[in-house]
Amino acid sequence: MQNPEKLIRKGLPRGHLKDLMVKLLLGAATYGVVIIALLLFAKIVKDGAPVLFKAEAPFVDFGFLLDKNETLHVFDDSQGVRHQLPASRYNEYLTAHADQPIYNEQTFSYSGGGIVGPIVGTILLTLGSMILALFFGVSAAIYLSEYAKQSPFIHAVRLAILNLAGVPSIVFGLFGFAVFVLAVPVLTSAPADRSLLTIPLFMGNYVISFQGWNSSLIAGCATLACMILPVVITASEESLKAVPQGFRDAALAMGATRWQTIRKTVLPFSLPGILTSSLLAVGRVAGETAPIMFTAAVAAKDDLPWESLANPFDLLSSQVQALPYHIYTLAARIPASEYTQRAQYGSVFVFLILVASLSFGSMLLRAKLRARIKW
Amino acid sequence: MAAKAPALHRFTRQGISLEGGIRFFFASNAGLTIVILVLIIAFLLKEGLGFFPGYRRELEVYRVAGLEFVDLSRGPLTSHEQLASVLNRAYYAEINGRAAKELKRMLESSELFNAYSEGVAPPRDLILKNLENGVDPNSEMLVQLRERFAERQARALNSLPPTPHLTIPERAALVADLRRREVTATEDPALVTVLADEYGAARQRFAEPLSGFREVIDSFESAGSDLSDLVMDMTETVTVTKEAIQRADILEKDRSSLLAAAANTKDPAERERLTADAEAALAETPDIAGPMQTLMARKPDCAATHAALREALAGITAKLPSSLTRPEANRLLQAAHKGTPILLAELAAAPARINEWRSDKPVPLSMAIRRFLTGKDWVTGGEWQDFYGILPLFVGSLMVSVVALIIAIPLGIGAAIYVNQFSARLEQSLIKPVIEFIQAIPSVVLGFIGILVLGTVLREVSQVEWLAWVPGFPIEERLNIFTAGCLLALMSIPTIFSLAEDALNNVPAAYAEASDALGASRFQTTFRVIVPAAYSGMLVAVLLGLGRVIGETMVVLLVAGNRIKIPDFSSGIGSFFQPAHTLTGIIAQELGEVPLGSVHYRALFVVGILLFVIVLGINATAHRFFNRTPI
Amino acid sequence: MRHPNNKMNTTMKYLTTLMTAAALVATSQAQTLSLKGSDTLGAKLVPQLAEGFKAAGNKNVKFEIAAEGSTTAFPALANGTAQLGMSSREIKDDETTFCRTKGIILKEHQICYDMICVIVNKNSPVSKLTKTQVAKIFTGQIKDWSEVGGAPGKISIYTRNTSSGTYKDWQKLAMKGRDYPSSSQKLAGNEQIAQEVSKNRNGIGYVGLAYSKTAGTKALPIDGVAPVAKNAKKFTYARPCYIYAPEKPTAEAAAFLGYIDSPAGQDIVRKVGFIPVKDL
Repeated sequence: MQNPEKLIRKGLPRGHLKDLMVKLLLGAATYGVVIIALLLFAKIVKDGAPVLFKAEAPFVDFGFLLDKNETLHVFDDSQGVRHQLPASRYNEYLTAHADQPIYNEQTFSYSGGGIVGPIVGTILLTLGSMILALFFGVSAAIYLSEYAKQSPFIHAVRLAILNLAGVPSIVFGLFGFAVFVLAVPVLTSAPADRSLLTIPLFMGNYVISFQGWNSSLIAGCATLACMILPVVITASEESLKAVPQGFRDAALAMGATRWQTIRKTVLPFSLPGILTSSLLAVGRVAGETAPIMFTAAVAAKDDLPWESLANPFDLLSSQVQALPYHIYTLAARIPASEYTQRAQYGSVFVFLILVASLSFGSMLLRAKLRARIKW
Repeated sequence: MAAKAPALHRFTRQGISLEGGIRFFFASNAGLTIVILVLIIAFLLKEGLGFFPGYRRELEVYRVAGLEFVDLSRGPLTSHEQLASVLNRAYYAEINGRAAKELKRMLESSELFNAYSEGVAPPRDLILKNLENGVDPNSEMLVQLRERFAERQARALNSLPPTPHLTIPERAALVADLRRREVTATEDPALVTVLADEYGAARQRFAEPLSGFREVIDSFESAGSDLSDLVMDMTETVTVTKEAIQRADILEKDRSSLLAAAANTKDPAERERLTADAEAALAETPDIAGPMQTLMARKPDCAATHAALREALAGITAKLPSSLTRPEANRLLQAAHKGTPILLAELAAAPARINEWRSDKPVPLSMAIRRFLTGKDWVTGGEWQDFYGILPLFVGSLMVSVVALIIAIPLGIGAAIYVNQFSARLEQSLIKPVIEFIQAIPSVVLGFIGILVLGTVLREVSQVEWLAWVPGFPIEERLNIFTAGCLLALMSIPTIFSLAEDALNNVPAAYAEASDALGASRFQTTFRVIVPAAYSGMLVAVLLGLGRVIGETMVVLLVAGNRIKIPDFSSGIGSFFQPAHTLTGIIAQELGEVPLGSVHYRALFVVGILLFVIVLGINATAHRFFNRTPI
Repeated sequence: MRHPNNKMNTTMKYLTTLMTAAALVATSQAQTLSLKGSDTLGAKLVPQLAEGFKAAGNKNVKFEIAAEGSTTAFPALANGTAQLGMSSREIKDDETTFCRTKGIILKEHQICYDMICVIVNKNSPVSKLTKTQVAKIFTGQIKDWSEVGGAPGKISIYTRNTSSGTYKDWQKLAMKGRDYPSSSQKLAGNEQIAQEVSKNRNGIGYVGLAYSKTAGTKALPIDGVAPVAKNAKKFTYARPCYIYAPEKPTAEAAAFLGYIDSPAGQDIVRKVGFIPVKDL
């Protein structure tokens, strides 16, 4: 080590090539992932966007978004002209052209009409589960951040949150099926045989029967809410903790009670934060398939959820279509062909736009919020 | 309403009303997480634990009815059939290898003809149907259709597949033939028929020198007929017994549920009817001993048949040729040579096992547990016997995860190091949102892409000739472990990336500064100081990524191929290109279609418990490492 | 876990429960017709019968059709979650008694015949099979196409999932009750089988007659009998299909059953690719 400078000068060029190689390799890995993601997105946009958008005004094909899902009939008339009609229009065609034979008829399930049923179902499921998750989640977060001191109870709660966050979604599906579909109590006059326990109420014939809610909107919402609860709690607690301690101290010093402090000084400042970070949870809820497969979703349904209900509460106990489940059906149950492509890529495109805008919205809002609120 | 806490609660006793109530309300909501976790565990156990007694009963019926006894003979029989199949394949591989040229020419000509037929099918069908319906052949419509046909024909003729093994004049003749072809023609073009005949003749020609081999195979096959007849015969007897026992079980259960229903109804007439039904349901106990005695009487017969087959096969296999000329045929023949002693040993061992078998040997609960954990078959809804063995599903999940991690770890961690250490700010603001966006893609969409795009693309790539050296190529099935693994890798990259990047970020700046001060280069700092300091954080990233991969459902359900079998590891790396089924996939696929409360239904809950334990175990390990992070 | 923590949770649950309960009581009065069961019937035939039924002046009847396999029909009928059950096989003894214990006596309606066709890839040189060969292929004794006169290549077997009536019928009709080899791949529906076979040159599968004309596949004659409707009597793998209904069906269910038996309904049956009962 007589001349360290010389050593460095000697060392650099030799190692330099190796360094460059490593850097290139790492860069290639990174951009490889980025390019694959962009390619994937491009493929869906390329095949899906033409379904939703068109060249002339109003540029959006509302039919695809607002029509009900039907079977697609493809056939030639005797002149050899190929028709593609959803079932309802197909029947109109048949009555209008009753005397003409048709040829080469093919039918494609779920491929005609639009996807309003799945869209509405997903919105209802998301809304319902977010209401439940926000109510319970924010309350739990308030306890954890405002009231809790170190105690075995708090420790247990934190452990439960940590573990719940890791449970696979299909296990939530099993849990929702076993609990909400088959076991939660309902008030009924005719308990089902599978009821685990019946408690007579001595009013009319009614009993409380632990027989579950069947596969229904409410069962799906409850399952999804359980799944998302840890995310909501963690996000809310973070937002609550971001409110400076001085606010609380000041309020308490003025003689406000704990609850008044929370209501007037903590919640108003943290609520925007809670809501934006919950948007991310919304995206996840909307995208999940496994938990709703057995608890809420149905592949085909004629009506929109609120149509032909005897009373408004029926909405909660009816099964719904849902976009992710619809895509599962489109991918697994029907063949890929030029006639089914519209339904398949169109649905995926709409779904991806929905979920991506939720997560981007959450990202943007969060950035904006951080910029605006400075304590 | 929160204020209306129970009267005896200590808050009320102390006189704290509103504030205490509110606090209690929030606390109870926090407790809800514990309640949910406990409920998950409780209900999984409630539905799942009933599985083992139920499965034990099924296995008991399997033994008592004698199905197990029949399977003792069926095992060697199946091996014999497998070996016969291998020999047959060797025989045909030899012939096809010798007639390879004729075979390829025949295939290419018929493929070309098929492509043409498919191209012109729509107008052709229309014309034929119209003619069938008695439409005037000269009508305007048909003339129009003929025009369309000609148009399609021209297009089809322009896009015919290549035929490297046909001579140029042959191809030209075939194309000309197709061009001249009448719309109504139904017979194959001349060349297609000629080449098919040529191939047939070649097969016959090459089969002649192999007639000795053929005879050996035939005698090999027919030697098994005695055993096969015996097994068929016994199968009938034992299935009848099994059905009788099962019906008695069901009736017994029904009787109790009918009685319970009777006790619950208020209407006396209905109650009487149900009670009567219940009494009628009281079946006579099924006769098990009788059929079992006849079955046991066949033990000597059974043993003798095995011995006879063994003797016959030992003679026959000695006559097998020692090698064949074509490599594929020779490979199969050598496999048969290797398999023969195994089969003979199996046949030799069979009589002893048959004599040892007893129908009244008790079936302990531990056997049900063992067969579940180590069983290699997951057979459900079959006619013969249902088995619930977790191994193929577990191996499937494991292999998919291995593929996913092998791809995701270098990419995810590499990207994290690159972004954290070497990229400019601008690059970061491009890369990070894209990777975060991947996380937002719902898994069902990835599954959709896999089933519609990736599977087909991968298989087409694998069929490119100069890639044939890759083990497992060309891929047989579009949907396989590798395809699913690729998509899961994409899913877990964001998790691994962001956690690894956090870990790198958390390395104190002092480390890097100290390293710089010692004269280390940027790369030395990164790879000798920062990355080692973030090791445990990266391990956490990988573990959490693994947890996510194992628990993922939709991608594997759609893309993994759903074949419930432990992949054939003899093909080495190639076994990753076989289809498989997974723990998560089986729940999603079968839960919707099993009767509530059945053994199969409970088996799925046990799979759920297993999954729950595995994933929680992984996460717990990860968090242990997380807490150990030195910083 | 402290005891009172459950309290709020349960209170909330009861509130929701009350609402749901009110809803559940009312559900049975809605005018929906729910059908569950076989995919063979429920994927194509029944939806089109339903559309025809609505077009024939029953606009206000709403259909819910779930086609997950015949096995799912009977629990749904017993629990009252379906008014009609579609099945491509006969009901089993234990299923009858199961429904009986729930107070439901089922009546069988034969609505059509179906033939299970063996399909292979269009480019496969195999153009016919015998019954024995089919049995050997599907039980895994024949593993390579060259053994039955095709081009060399490992046979890929595609079957239905286990709750399917076709899965069990096929085991009885074609495989003498033996098990499928573990190398077979279980797929959710007829269309999926046809699709995989059309994409795999070495694939073989079985589908209902209605699906036997999928592009890229061909249905093979068995023992020299071509799988076309007029051969239904001679064909080895023909079977009747059923709709099961409670002894006293709802008005809509009865009307729908009537429509299926009517000439208009049987016309749809023929058009979709099944064989009307009267044609036999």
